[in-house]
Amino acid sequence: MMKIGSFKWLFGRNSEFWPTNMKTGMWAWVGHRLTGLLLVVYVFLHLSFLSQASLSHKSFDELMETMHQPLFILMDFLLVCAVIYHAMNGARVVLFDMGIGIRRQKLVFWVMMGIAAAIVLAAFFVLFNEGLLKGEWF
Amino acid sequence: MAEQKIATSKVAGTWAWFFQRVSAVLLVVLLGLHIYVDHFVDMGKPLDVAGIHTRVKQLLFVVIDYSLLGMVLFHGLNGTRTVMFDFDMFIKRKKLVDVGLWVLGIAMMIWGIIVLFPFING
Repeated sequence: MMKIGSFKWLFGRNSEFWPTNMKTGMWAWVGHRLTGLLLVVYVFLHLSFLSQASLSHKSFDELMETMHQPLFILMDFLLVCAVIYHAMNGARVVLFDMGIGIRRQKLVFWVMMGIAAAIVLAAFFVLFNEGLLKGEWF
Repeated sequence: MAEQKIATSKVAGTWAWFFQRVSAVLLVVLLGLHIYVDHFVDMGKPLDVAGIHTRVKQLLFVVIDYSLLGMVLFHGLNGTRTVMFDFDMFIKRKKLVDVGLWVLGIAMMIWGIIVLFPFING
């Protein structure tokens, strides 16, 4: 039997994962793992939706109509956020592996997050252009 | 010279670390192409079977899609493996986990290859 106490290293107040114990690099690492696992789940969903809909052309076109509803566009936007964060933080990890920027690791993190924010902002305008900004949803 | 510490895990292994980096770089390129071609080069809004067919009847795009799927599956499942082993999950069943993930990955690759057939045929 697993005891609750055996998870103290993960959830306890003295755990390295307790929010006040985490510094920038640790937040970046936790975020990388969480978005990574989320994206694995997304790939399963992506394949399963496509395969169900590809049984007939009509069902595929209907699925695409459904995916144009506001709720799904919003979920697309969250997906973009997860992908861009994972990619930009991943680039930072690759840089460190090549020995670049380790001593300036916090600065590198925030530069990467700046680039990520710019891409996410661009994605916001692309995704919400017709619905929100041109008012098609209203 | 200061000792350089790479973000590899002793349990997951150096090859797992190396190919995770290689697939990461390829994914940025392939995913960028995938999103650009599917959503910015106009082929019917919303996407429809006819629009996708005009793309995947060209061999190049089939190669891009299948490479992307292969890299995604490797990167995703290898990442999951690293997370599990880092948290000491199933560490005593390492071989079994490895075989299980390879079987899952290959099965999903075959599944993904078949899923594209109706779009290739149009």
